Amino acid sequence: MAGLGLALLNSLDIGLLLFIIAVGLNIIFGVLNVINFAHGALYMLGAYMSFALMAGLGLPFWATLLMAPLVVAGVAILIDRSMLRFVYQREVADSLLLTFALLLILNESVRLIWGTGIHVIDPPVPLRGAIDLPGGLSYPRYSVFVLIVGLCTLLGLWLLFNRTRLGKIMRAAALDREMAQVLCINTRLVITGAFAFGAWLAALGGAVAAPMRAIDPGMGDKIIIESFIVVVIGGLGSFPGALLGAIVLGLIHGLGGRYLPDANLVLPYIGMALVLLFKPHGLMGARKSA
Amino acid sequence: MKASTRSTLLAVAMAAAFAAGSAQAADPIRIGGIYLMSGSAASYGEFAKQGATLAIDEINAQGGVLGRQLSIQIEDSQGKAATAIQVARKMVYQDNVDLMMGLDSSGVAQGLVPVLPELGKPFMITHAATPDVTGKLCNKYTFRLSVNVNQNMMGAADIAAGTGAVKWTTIGPDYAFGHQSWEFFSKYLKEKKPDAVLMEDQLAFPRFGAEDFTPFINSVMESKPDGILISLWGGDLVNFVRQANDRGFFKQGFKVLMSVGAATEVLTALGDQMPADIWLGTRYWYGSWDNPINTKFVEAYKKAWNQPPSYNAEGAYMAVYSFKDAIEKAGAVEPDKIIAALAGLTVPAPTGDLTFRAGDHQALIGPTWGLTGAMNEADKIRSLTQLHNFEGASVTPPVDPECKL
Repeated sequence: MAGLGLALLNSLDIGLLLFIIAVGLNIIFGVLNVINFAHGALYMLGAYMSFALMAGLGLPFWATLLMAPLVVAGVAILIDRSMLRFVYQREVADSLLLTFALLLILNESVRLIWGTGIHVIDPPVPLRGAIDLPGGLSYPRYSVFVLIVGLCTLLGLWLLFNRTRLGKIMRAAALDREMAQVLCINTRLVITGAFAFGAWLAALGGAVAAPMRAIDPGMGDKIIIESFIVVVIGGLGSFPGALLGAIVLGLIHGLGGRYLPDANLVLPYIGMALVLLFKPHGLMGARKSA
Repeated sequence: MKASTRSTLLAVAMAAAFAAGSAQAADPIRIGGIYLMSGSAASYGEFAKQGATLAIDEINAQGGVLGRQLSIQIEDSQGKAATAIQVARKMVYQDNVDLMMGLDSSGVAQGLVPVLPELGKPFMITHAATPDVTGKLCNKYTFRLSVNVNQNMMGAADIAAGTGAVKWTTIGPDYAFGHQSWEFFSKYLKEKKPDAVLMEDQLAFPRFGAEDFTPFINSVMESKPDGILISLWGGDLVNFVRQANDRGFFKQGFKVLMSVGAATEVLTALGDQMPADIWLGTRYWYGSWDNPINTKFVEAYKKAWNQPPSYNAEGAYMAVYSFKDAIEKAGAVEPDKIIAALAGLTVPAPTGDLTFRAGDHQALIGPTWGLTGAMNEADKIRSLTQLHNFEGASVTPPVDPECKL
C-alpha cells in the first residue's frame, strides 16, 4: 500500500512536468495552428541555458530558473519573426517541415556550443535529499518542488486564460483570427507572443528538469515524443486536455514501471491507441476546423 | 549584390573541392568509422573520434603504413541499424573506404554485421557488446577488439561472488544489451556461487532513454535484494544515479555492480555524485595498466584532448593500430589479405597483448572492474580502487559452435 502511494506521488511529479511542456505545445497549436516539432529542442535549450548560467556565470539556481526560460522566449521571438510567420497561413504539413528543420538546427547548435558531453547541475541546497513521509516512506525534496512548480503553472495558466484580458485575447485569436483582427486586436503581436509563451513553458520545463536529469544533446528528442503522446491522449489544442493527458501518461509511467515492468515499453502507445480508437480527437479534444 | 554573393560562394565551393581533390592525390588508405555522433550518447562517438584521430596522427607522423597516409571519415549511426547500413554502403560504394570500424550499440551491430559480407571490407567493432556478432551472426569480415557481454559478465560474476551477497536482481535498458547482460551474469554467477538467488520476477528493464527511473528505483528498493547488477549506460546511467541518490538507493546496504559504469563519459558528468564503494566495470581503465604503451597512450591522449581516455577512445585508437599491423603483415591493402593477417594476430595494446581469435574474430580481452574510491582531483572523476584486470583468455568462453566463418 505504501508502495502504491509513492508510485502515485511519482506519477504526479512526472505528469506535472510533462504538463508544463505539453501545454506550451498546445498553446502554440491553438493560436498559431503550428505543430511545433522543435518544442523538445526548446526544452533542451532551457536546460542548457540553466547549465550555462549556473556553471558558466555562477548564478544561483533561482536566478537561472527565471532567466533561462526568458532567454529561450527571446530566441523564440527571433525564430517567429524570421521564419515561422511565413507558414501560419499554410497547411499544417508545411509548419511541421519547418519546425522539424528547426529541431535539427537547434540540436546541432547545442552540440556546437556545448559539445556532446553529458552535463549535470546540482539542485540548490534546500532542495537536496528527501523528506520523510508517514509510513516510513521518503520522497525527494526536489520532486516536491516539481509538484509545486507544476501546480503554480497550472493555477497561473487558469487565471491567465479565464481571468485576464490578455488570456481572453489569446483565446479569441485562437478561435477566429480574422474576427479578432476586425475587433482591433493586434493579432500579429498575439501570435508572436503566444509562440514565445509556448517556448517559455518548454524552457521552464527544461530549467526545472535540469537539476534532476542528465543534460545531453538527446534530451529534447526524448521529451518531444512524450509531449506528443500527452497531446494525442488529451486532445490537440486543449488546455485541460494537456493536463489530463500528462497525468494519464504520468500514471502510465509511474504505475506501469512499477507493477507491469515487462510492458513499460508499449504501455504509453497502448494508451494512445485506445484513446485514438474511442476518442479520435483526444479525451478533451474538440473537432477543430483548421 | 546577390549575384556577387553567389559567385563568391561558388568560388569558395570550388576552392574547397580543389583542396579536397589535391588531398586525394596522395591516395591515403581510407578508414570509415560509424559511431553514435548525435543524441544522448554522442559523447561516446566523440571519444572514439578523438582516439582514432590520435592514432592516425601518430602513424602518419611516422610515415604512414606501407608508405601511404591513413585518413578517416566518421559518420553518425544515430543509434539505428538502418542508418548504419546506409552509411556503410555509402562509405564502401561512394567513398571507397578500404577498412571500417565503429558501432556503439548491440542493436545496431546485430543489424549491420549480416550485411558486411556483401560490402566485402573488414570491419572492426570497438564497442558494441552483444555476443551474437562474434557468435551465431559471425562472418569473416567482422572482428571485435572490445570486451563483449560474455567476457564482461564473467568478470562481473566473479566480483559478485566475492561480495558474498546472495539475492541478486538487475536494472538494465530494455533491449538486447540489458537482457543479455542479466542472462550471462546469472549463468556465470550460478556457476561460481551455486547458492545465489536470482530474483527473476523482480527485474527492472526501463525503456532505453527513459528520463525518469524513479518507479524502477522504488520497486528495486522495496524488493530488498542483497546485490544488484546495473547495465544502464550513457545518459541513462547519469539520470539513474542522480535520481537514485535522491532516494537513498545507495545507502540501503546492498552491493552495487555497474557493468559499464567506469566510462569516463559518465564519471566526468557525475563527479562526486557517483557514490563511493560500488563496483564499476569497464572495457578499459586508463589507470589500471602499468606498461609503456599505456603510459604513452594516456599521456598523448591527455595532451591532445585535455581529458583522460575513455574505453571507447582506447577501442578506436587500437582499431587503427590493429589495421596498421595487419596491413604491414599482409603487405597489401586487399580485404582478403588483411582479414587473413588479422585472424590470429597479436597486437601490442595499452591492455597488454591483444589477440584476435582465429575461430570467431573476437579479441581475447577481459574487462576491468574496480571499487569507487576518493575523488581523483586532477581528472575530476572518482578513482577506482581494488582494480581487477581480468585475463582475456580466462573470461572468454570457447568459440560458439554456431559461428561459421
